[in-house]
Amino acid sequence: MNYDHPSHAVREHQEISTLIPWYLNGSIAEHQRQRLDVHVSLCAECRDDLALERSVYLGMRAETAVEYMPAASLKLLQARLDGIDAAASVDLPAGLPAAQRPGRAAVPWHGVMAASVAVMAVALSLLAADRWLQARARTTRPDYYTVTTAVPRAPGEVIRAVFAPNITLVELQSLLDEAQLRIISGPTEAGVYSLAANSRRPVNSSLALLRGHAKVRFAESTQPSTGSGELP
Amino acid sequence: MTVLAKNSAKEHDNDLLVAVAAGNRRALEELYVSYHRRLARFLSRFTPRYENVEEIINDTFMVVWQRSKDFRYASQVSTWIIGIAYRTALKSLRRQKNHAGALRLDDYPEQTTDPTLETEVRDWLKHGLERLPIEQRLTLELAYHMGHSLEEIAAITECPVGTVKARMFHAREKLRQYLPTLGGSACALSMRDE
Repeated sequence: MNYDHPSHAVREHQEISTLIPWYLNGSIAEHQRQRLDVHVSLCAECRDDLALERSVYLGMRAETAVEYMPAASLKLLQARLDGIDAAASVDLPAGLPAAQRPGRAAVPWHGVMAASVAVMAVALSLLAADRWLQARARTTRPDYYTVTTAVPRAPGEVIRAVFAPNITLVELQSLLDEAQLRIISGPTEAGVYSLAANSRRPVNSSLALLRGHAKVRFAESTQPSTGSGELP
Repeated sequence: MTVLAKNSAKEHDNDLLVAVAAGNRRALEELYVSYHRRLARFLSRFTPRYENVEEIINDTFMVVWQRSKDFRYASQVSTWIIGIAYRTALKSLRRQKNHAGALRLDDYPEQTTDPTLETEVRDWLKHGLERLPIEQRLTLELAYHMGHSLEEIAAITECPVGTVKARMFHAREKLRQYLPTLGGSACALSMRDE
């Protein structure tokens, strides 16, 4: 680069350097992008700076392979909201609009107390239910399972599937109609649905349809003759 | 079935938030599902345990539920929600750091990355990012992982643009300080990327 004054050159390098992150993530204004393009085409130092920062950018863009399913987390949120609603309904006169409930804006201290009592009551109920289920389970099956332990199959189940978190109910219903399937249970904590057939359509045909859909993460036949499942 | 008809993503978010402010739980659930994946992937870069990610997301949406009436639509709904998640995460991460000390590298789950990216660069990045102050790392992640602009990050973090610029500058400088000792030479990295 050829500048009239050294301080101008230094300032230009500094300004170009501050633009680089926003150039890389595509949020920079067009005139600034052009300015940076021109500068790096003439300046080896800033070109190296850009290449190095691109390595960092690409490294941080790399996605994890873990797919997070919202269903189980959403149930926890719903339980929290139910606790607040229950406390508010105990505490307030009938007919007050939902949007004016204390749980949605400023929670007064007595509302908090009632909410705490409600949450504790729910927690105790869950604990008692859990103990009862554990006691019952001891008499019928082991207290543990492994990844190879067969999960009890719902009656009529022919396919297990996991759908993308962004699938809408309309899309899901349309897909199930086309594949002539219906949901008979689920989702599990892992987001798995059990599907049953609505017609005599071959299971393999429905399975192929599911696996070919962009918003089906996983589809597996539970029929022994249809082979192993695979990601679509 | 969607709660309201979709026009565009931004308008749809606005419609949903209006419904949430009116007490519509279905609208909150739809908003939750549409943001869950993005927030979970972002937050999982800071905390190795899904329980923590889940807690931060749910705390975020409790605030959305309680404060949706106060939102004035001066910014995008996505900026507002990610801003709440940012502050919730910041509190949670500071608390974790105080209680448990710095996280070890072994605490992080295995990640699948671009196969063309060198292992050396990944290792260097992991080590370097862990050593950044949390505000600087969050700024870098918001820009590089989430793709937010300078102005959006200023809105999300409720900081002046100058502060975001300074955090970005220091984050980049510190990352490069680790480069010679942890990941090889800058020259090798830049040549690999050409």
